[in-house]
Amino acid sequence: MTRIRSGISELDKMLRGGFMEGDAVMVAGGAGTGKTVLALQYLVSGATQFGEGGVYVTFEQLPDQIYRDARNFGWNLRKMEDENRLRVVCTSPSLLLEADGLEQVLDEPIREINARRIVVDSLNHLEMLVPEGELRKEAYRLLMYFKTKGLSSVVTWEASQVGGQGFTVTETGLGFLVDCIILLRFVEIESSIRKALTILKMRGSDHDRQLREFEITSQGVKVVAPFTQYEGILTGSPRRMAEYRFAEAFAEAAKKKRGK
Amino acid sequence: MSKERELLDRLLSSEVKGELLLLFHRNPGMIDTMENVARRIGREAKTIETDMRDLVDLGLVKTRHIGRFEVFALDRARDKELQDTIANYIRSLKRG
Repeated sequence: MTRIRSGISELDKMLRGGFMEGDAVMVAGGAGTGKTVLALQYLVSGATQFGEGGVYVTFEQLPDQIYRDARNFGWNLRKMEDENRLRVVCTSPSLLLEADGLEQVLDEPIREINARRIVVDSLNHLEMLVPEGELRKEAYRLLMYFKTKGLSSVVTWEASQVGGQGFTVTETGLGFLVDCIILLRFVEIESSIRKALTILKMRGSDHDRQLREFEITSQGVKVVAPFTQYEGILTGSPRRMAEYRFAEAFAEAAKKKRGK
Repeated sequence: MSKERELLDRLLSSEVKGELLLLFHRNPGMIDTMENVARRIGREAKTIETDMRDLVDLGLVKTRHIGRFEVFALDRARDKELQDTIANYIRSLKRG
């Protein structure tokens, strides 16, 4: 099975090579966790490293702002557009919800650059416009359109993070529609806020199950190490694991003894 | 008056048209309704309609229907053509 590499090497290792081709991936997380950066990096890597054109669909944020933010990571999206490797589409979700809205808005940019990847940032904007209970149906139509076009898609979802728990990914039923879910979240460890990434689900493939720390660097998302010394991170009340507490106490005692 | 000069005058005939030109140039992939385009520059649809129709008339903005909505988008090819025309005109002024 062909893998679609995200371009984030550690994440690709966690995914056992990358996303499955044609899959719909959800990147979920609270505001400011890095969903947009990760999604953009997926498209930029596709365009610059793997020869796969990509379409970025934004609703609220104007492309101008996205171009500017991307430049901070060294990504010149305007140039990629000029080279027919990328398209940034800015529209209203209400248009996509019309009977032939998806085809009318997206067929042209997809065809123009022979796109293989697509990002929708974010599905929450769709939620605001559809009647309660209809989101799942409309999201299904959207994702099936992508699959029919042979696109590997990433959709972002702003999930509320109340205290330590309470993600709304599955409450809306969207979790069942996508093939893979990557969860990004803030964690508080020893009075500092850090960022954690985990793969919650990956249909039809083995994947890493560890909760890993990641950073937003000047080159984009960088996944670092697993939080091996802590437990209970997803509960919002992480604590050092007993073995590490013991090792620390032992080292402290040894230090004291040496000092005597 | 030359055709190029007429075109330039027409493009810069109002503040709203200037704002619309700037918006479409900075966001060439935007495709939206009159109401939403207006909102994106902090205005109401009725205050931009005349200027938007003029941009459509110039061929700079193309329009079509998606379901019950009329939508507007930049015609990138025509935009390039108009930019070249204006640039040539400005160059000729400098030379002259």
